[in-house]
Amino acid sequence: MAKQPKQTMSRALQRREDIAGYLFMLPSLIFFLGFVIIPMFMCIGMSFTDANLNAKTATTFVGLTNFINLWQDAVFLDALKNTFLLVVVTVPAVTLFSLWVSSAIYKMKMPVLSTFRCIFYLPVVTGSVAVTVVWKWIFDNYTGILNTALKGMGLIEKNINWLGTDGIAIWCIILIMFTTYVGQPIVLYVSALGNVDQGLVEAAQVDGATDLQVFWKIKWPQIMPTTLYIVVITTINTFQCFALIQLLTEGGSGTNTVMFYIYRMAFKLTEQGGHFGYANAMGVVLAIFIAILSAIQFKLGEEK
Amino acid sequence: MKRSKLVSLLLAGSMLLGLAACGGGSTTTPAPAESKAAEPAQSQAAEPAADTEITLWTYPIGNWGVEAEVNKLMDQFKADTGITVKVEYLAYADGDDKVNAALSAKSAPDLIMEGPERLVANWGAAGHMVDLSDMIDDTDKKEINAACLTACTTADGKVYEYPVVMTAHCMAINKQAFEAADALQYVDLENHTWTTENFIKAVEALSVKFDDVGAVYCKGQGGDQGTRALVNNLYGGTFTNAEHTAYTWDDPLNIKALEQLKSMKGINFDASLAGGDEIAKFYQGALQMAFCWNIAQQLNPNAANTGAEKTVTGDDIVFMSFPSENGESKLQGGIWGFGIFDNGDQAKIDAAKTFIKYFADSEHTVDAVKTANYFAARSAAEGTDLSGIWADNEIMNEYNKLMPYLGDYYQVTKGWAQARTEWWTMLQEVGKGADVGTVVAQYAGNANAAAK
Repeated sequence: MAKQPKQTMSRALQRREDIAGYLFMLPSLIFFLGFVIIPMFMCIGMSFTDANLNAKTATTFVGLTNFINLWQDAVFLDALKNTFLLVVVTVPAVTLFSLWVSSAIYKMKMPVLSTFRCIFYLPVVTGSVAVTVVWKWIFDNYTGILNTALKGMGLIEKNINWLGTDGIAIWCIILIMFTTYVGQPIVLYVSALGNVDQGLVEAAQVDGATDLQVFWKIKWPQIMPTTLYIVVITTINTFQCFALIQLLTEGGSGTNTVMFYIYRMAFKLTEQGGHFGYANAMGVVLAIFIAILSAIQFKLGEEK
Repeated sequence: MKRSKLVSLLLAGSMLLGLAACGGGSTTTPAPAESKAAEPAQSQAAEPAADTEITLWTYPIGNWGVEAEVNKLMDQFKADTGITVKVEYLAYADGDDKVNAALSAKSAPDLIMEGPERLVANWGAAGHMVDLSDMIDDTDKKEINAACLTACTTADGKVYEYPVVMTAHCMAINKQAFEAADALQYVDLENHTWTTENFIKAVEALSVKFDDVGAVYCKGQGGDQGTRALVNNLYGGTFTNAEHTAYTWDDPLNIKALEQLKSMKGINFDASLAGGDEIAKFYQGALQMAFCWNIAQQLNPNAANTGAEKTVTGDDIVFMSFPSENGESKLQGGIWGFGIFDNGDQAKIDAAKTFIKYFADSEHTVDAVKTANYFAARSAAEGTDLSGIWADNEIMNEYNKLMPYLGDYYQVTKGWAQARTEWWTMLQEVGKGADVGTVVAQYAGNANAAAK
């Protein structure tokens, strides 16, 4: 008999805590629902319509027409190819470089380590517009420092139009993405490597393991969750690359990406019938690609 | 626990309020019953409530893009009418995106200042603009430049833009660079004209002294009126037909012009520059001629406030018409004025009409025109003569020599946004060395598909 009130009290307390917890989550949940979940479903729904800006025409359901048209749209296919090139080059480059730098600096004394972390993290905290403007000056066809330096060294005779030439511009974009993306992975890797169990490392060394063996057998498995996070986040960011393209090339010179084409289709080519629906279909396709690639990365990470 | 619940409730409440605020939109004063009555069929705006607040989004049309200058006009307007105008300044790079996003979110401004290619051919055609034909009476029709009024009017007689200012877009040369290359002999400085033959000779002479003479910029649509005018005028090609129903830039004369430009040493087809970038390069002295120019640039090159008609190094800038075979070119017109978005609030529409009447058809039109640094789109406004308002400005007077060359305002052709994209993409392809005839046919074909 004496136990019953105690249980009731406990359940009431639990309920109160639950309610408080949910209320704390509510603001974020509202934003998440309002700005992520609902727009996501709106995007999916609209991708099956010919929605556009024209107030005179009614939106009609067109089924899979937008998705079928995508695969016959040369601009979209070109944008898709460019997007995959960015991902295929940038993600491994960022991951490997940041791992290499972190391995080299994580054992350094704190002031030196902090200095390195600041240097590599600087492009991350600097606004992307500011970074892009600086790179635009560097790559400028007429007065850019890169052309001036190369000409000064006698390496080129005529200026190279870095951002205006097919086959070059996309690599300039990749270079800029690389410099802006490595900061966070380096900080994460430094932290992950610092948390590797030193007991295991020392035991392996006592047993005669080489540096490579120590890294591959001891450190690599322990930093795998960090690697997985870095790979997935870099992949998503690269797929969604927009500001660089918008500010540097406007999608020209072979740098059009799916994300930029979505923006153009939605907000520039507004006279085109069903442009909102078509842009949303592209968004859905992009999301599917990101989801598939992320799932593969998670699977590979799991197996490791 | 109680405190934490209270805090959560407060947080949730504030977020909800925030969301509601983000929703924006139509929480406006209900329209007075009488204002919903039929519009008067005369050049008068309906009387709005004096305390109405309206929003104006303006592109950088001369000093209409400069807050300090616009504030003076808005303060005066408020003092005279009691209507408050909140102004937002758009850039050409992303202004359309902002407007389109606002339209799709049903939060468009009440007023917008730009040209007929946007207000009439795009947003008007899509049913977002208010018909202003009731504001234009017979006197207005006589006073407003006929070509301007035509461009602002749809085929079925709806006026989606009330024109305020106009100009002719032109090109510019660096006088000292031309002197240094002994190329001034090819230019008629008195009339600001030159022939295609002399243009070719001038570029040849300049290319001996300078690596980069001019740029057929094609990074995007910004300033593309310059490249269109250059190509069309060289051998007399056209961009659209006279009826504005089809794009005709695939004619052999334009192909010949593009082939000529592509073959010229010193002329770069540059996909890293848009019109604004080209102006900056010309101003900095990296290019010796600019194809993206007009009177506003002549008065304040590169908007840098370093002196009229001068580059950053102090060289003289001479504005020129585009080269053509007989020296008489057809210049691309620029028309700017006000349009009203139909947001369903009659009180705001009436207030916006009062605004337009005030700045486009009254004694205050002088201020609106002078702020824009262009020419008035009408000869007089409610008794105020506008023909001589620039009499005291030597540069404006000189620039008047180009106005007779004002050509067809073809930017109202259907599918204009798509056609512009096709144009600069085509120029990029030409720059890469693709066969000119093939790419011109392909991209003009794409533009015509959008025009149907």
